[in-house]
Amino acid sequence: MEFVSILDMEESPEKEKPRQSFLLDLNLYQIFEKINLYWGENLTSMYCYLPAGPLCEDYRREVYADIRQEALYSILCGLLDQMKDRREIFTKKSEVTLELQKQVWHLQETACYCGAFRRLARELEALPLKSKGMLAFRTYLQNYVDSGRFRDMEERSARLLEKMAGFRMKLIYENDRITVLAEETQGNYERFLQDCFPGQNRQMRSPFRSDAGLTELEQELVKAFQKQSPDFFWETEDFYKSYQEYAEDTLIRFSSEIRYYLAFYRFQQKMQEKGFSFAAPSLDEDRDLYARGLYDLALACSRGSGPEQIVSNDMYFGSKESFFVLTGPNQGGKTTFARSLGQLVYFTKMGLDVPASCANVHRFSRILTHFSVEESADTGRGRLKEELTRLAPMMRAKPDTETPSFVVINELFTTAANYDACIMGRRVLEHFISTGCRGIYVTHLTQLCQAHPQVVSLRALADEQGKRTFRIRRSTAEGTAGADRLAEKHHLTYRQLKERLS
Amino acid sequence: MKACLLYSQKEWENTSRYFDEKAIVKDLGLNTLFLSAAKEIQWEDGKISLIREPDPFLEDTMKKVMLVPLREAEEILYRQEILRDCLEQETFICRLYDLTSHILGEWNKLGRRSGAGTGNYNSPGSLISEIYVLQLFVSGLKQLKELLDEHKENLRSHGLQCLHERLCSEFPPRLEKDLERILEDVVFYADTRETEPDEPGNRGLVDKPRLVMGCVIGQGLKLEDFRLEEVVTESRKNRRTGSILARAQDYLNLRSKNIFSVRTDTALPDQIKQLEFEAVRHIVSCSKSFVSAFAGFWDQLHFQTAFYRGAVNLKHFMDRFYIKSTFPVPGSRRTLHFRELQEVVMGLEQHMAPVGNTCDLDEKTLLLVTGANQGGKSTFLRSIGIAQVMLQCGLFAAAESFESGIFPSLFTHFTRREDSAMNSGRLDEELGRMSQIIDHLEDPSMVLLNESFASTTEKEGSAIAYDIVRALAEADIKVLMVTHLLSFAQRVQDELQGPECPTAFLSAQRIELQGRMQRTYKMIPHEPELTSFGLELYDEIISP
Repeated sequence: MEFVSILDMEESPEKEKPRQSFLLDLNLYQIFEKINLYWGENLTSMYCYLPAGPLCEDYRREVYADIRQEALYSILCGLLDQMKDRREIFTKKSEVTLELQKQVWHLQETACYCGAFRRLARELEALPLKSKGMLAFRTYLQNYVDSGRFRDMEERSARLLEKMAGFRMKLIYENDRITVLAEETQGNYERFLQDCFPGQNRQMRSPFRSDAGLTELEQELVKAFQKQSPDFFWETEDFYKSYQEYAEDTLIRFSSEIRYYLAFYRFQQKMQEKGFSFAAPSLDEDRDLYARGLYDLALACSRGSGPEQIVSNDMYFGSKESFFVLTGPNQGGKTTFARSLGQLVYFTKMGLDVPASCANVHRFSRILTHFSVEESADTGRGRLKEELTRLAPMMRAKPDTETPSFVVINELFTTAANYDACIMGRRVLEHFISTGCRGIYVTHLTQLCQAHPQVVSLRALADEQGKRTFRIRRSTAEGTAGADRLAEKHHLTYRQLKERLS
Repeated sequence: MKACLLYSQKEWENTSRYFDEKAIVKDLGLNTLFLSAAKEIQWEDGKISLIREPDPFLEDTMKKVMLVPLREAEEILYRQEILRDCLEQETFICRLYDLTSHILGEWNKLGRRSGAGTGNYNSPGSLISEIYVLQLFVSGLKQLKELLDEHKENLRSHGLQCLHERLCSEFPPRLEKDLERILEDVVFYADTRETEPDEPGNRGLVDKPRLVMGCVIGQGLKLEDFRLEEVVTESRKNRRTGSILARAQDYLNLRSKNIFSVRTDTALPDQIKQLEFEAVRHIVSCSKSFVSAFAGFWDQLHFQTAFYRGAVNLKHFMDRFYIKSTFPVPGSRRTLHFRELQEVVMGLEQHMAPVGNTCDLDEKTLLLVTGANQGGKSTFLRSIGIAQVMLQCGLFAAAESFESGIFPSLFTHFTRREDSAMNSGRLDEELGRMSQIIDHLEDPSMVLLNESFASTTEKEGSAIAYDIVRALAEADIKVLMVTHLLSFAQRVQDELQGPECPTAFLSAQRIELQGRMQRTYKMIPHEPELTSFGLELYDEIISP
């Protein structure tokens, strides 16, 4: 297999398409922000498209399993550090105007590049890699660093730099003139200062600007020096001309794309330090889809200092079960649970670890979500129309393969009359079940719990005192959503209001 | 570098002051002492020609030092010894104080507030100030050394001799020579020479640097790792840019491979300035440890000298009003005896020598002073308190002789008759303060009580006073008390005094003179009486 990309065996068609709405609905951007924060670079775009197909998903999963070995992770982080150095040198090279200096910066840039990949090739050699992606990359890299061009470039740049490191300049400034000599000095005045004030190791600051360019004075000094050692500068110019375009695109692409895994791994480690668990999901279609200790990772990112503040839940789909209908009190953790289900499918598809303590996930071709834009009731047909407009493409979408989609629906038709809403909800459920989809439907309409034999009724639980627990269990729906308790808590029951108003 | 003129091993720290220093200052009237110490008297033919305006620094120093009690007899003797030297070598202490004032004053002018002398070399301006500060320190230390050398024979105290030795070892001639060389080398940057060279032959010459340095060629041809090889200031003919000679020289430079002129119209002159700046900055920054080692020293030396300078002034004032002075003797905690002890504050305020008292209160835990109003009881109590404070800071005391224990834990609790109107709020406050004192008592402690618990009835006041005094005495706290609570005094005499609580009773003396009872302001041993002769005072004033 010829190595192309560490992310995908084939280019994902979604890469260029507009971003899908589930990213926003599942609060995934909050997670990406946290990943970016821990990593220090903005990588959001990499996480915004799904791989091209099941094979690509497996390709990523295998690579991520390799990354999870500490050794490979730190080797690759080392590569990225060197790439960063290279970019900094490149920036300096682009800033400077003096041709002579440009050539020297270029020399250093090349040397940095050669050093980075030479080291990587050496370090990967002995590593027990398993994934197709990393194995193909290793072979590719090995061939590359063994090539004659690379060897020549590496050897020449190193030799020139070594020569440069040996350069010593002596300058004599007197009576408004400067004399430049290629000589070593003894630092006599430094020694006098040392004797005078023993015990301090001060170094004179450079009298020139610290940016990459050379001041006029530095240029004059360098030119005077050049006249005394011209060979080096000729060779550097020659090198510059021969290796103007030195970098291999595939390798540069690798060093950019590998951040997808490394950044997520770093993020995962930080979250695990706080106590949140992650699991590599299995993909066994013969077993039930299930997850234990499933939680909303976005919620954990935004306000979770520790897992004790975030409720986790266990869930499974039996073999005959397709859809959850989730009812329960307001603010009882329904939406959070629905999001965590969507995240479970998303991270599985991305080949990464999922926010749960263990999980088995099936294959889904797409993730379809429908969340009400805002939860406050806004009467009128405008809103219903808007909801239906968003719903239509979801329902019309014919799965291009036999693999079904995963659907997350949150509070549909809240502005329609109860009777209408029940019928519409039932139809939506029937549609998705008939096309083989799985998913969750969060609603306040308890009638939908019996809408279809493949529907499972879930409830957000309250404890004996009526306090919300954010736990989700299989249970038949009750009539009320616990609103009376909330009202009592806020002293808004009839009796309380009478008392308060009397 | 340490000055060590106040303590043999450490520098001044404004800590462990008397617990309620404000009360001590107010009750004993110490502000008068601080102020007198700040004023210098100039004599001419045995007459006062001038009393200078008070020096606020002297006043402040006196106040600070007097309010931090010493704890050991050796510490007291250490200061007394130095003070003796200063009283004998007045010109020495005056010149020393003038020198430190001068150094600190010049330093302020150089911008100490804005950071000169603190290692701020970030602009050419601050670098130049820094060089001047360095020069100031070097010349100041030279003068200090000369002054100490000059008086070497006459300074017998351990403190001043050690200062001399320390200075010689921490500012040795070699360091002095090196620092002077550095200052000379950077003359082109900041001219610290004291005289302008304006001999006729020098005209037209300017100071130019000769700098030789090495460096390496680093990343991207940037020059780095500069190391100085040679730094000298040379006198050179000042060439004008356009002169024929200059142009000829520049032409020659062009033909040479490795020489170029920096006197061009380009950015070079500015950049060469930067080069000079960095070289000088490096040199001066090396002296940072020297400057910072002596920066604190000047402040300390100035402060510590000020104490002795102030003491000399105070002595002059006391002499002027014929107030006696003696170096008091620190004794054991049971000791308290003195001859002709005077209340110096009153003497300074009233410009006359107060009546002296002689007492032997050795082995007494409790002293009760009773007797006639306006008889000098409070003055007597104050004179002991003042002498105690002066003893404990190493000063002389106003007496022919004075010996007492050391009580760093000294408290005063004075109530003046005039503000002791019966008032429960005031009693509350008074008892509150008493309770604070009790909280902070240490072993040993001395408590001066003047007319305490007067803000209630005699009966209640006596009961309170008895309980408190009894408790204090049993805890072996030295209590000196002036009281008009006669039933309390009576009760102490009847029930308390004895081996458990050795008590002395004193009373203001009254003698009959020309048919009338007169006060002498002397304290004599006297058993408590039930009258304080207030009636007499009443008669004296109301019905003459």
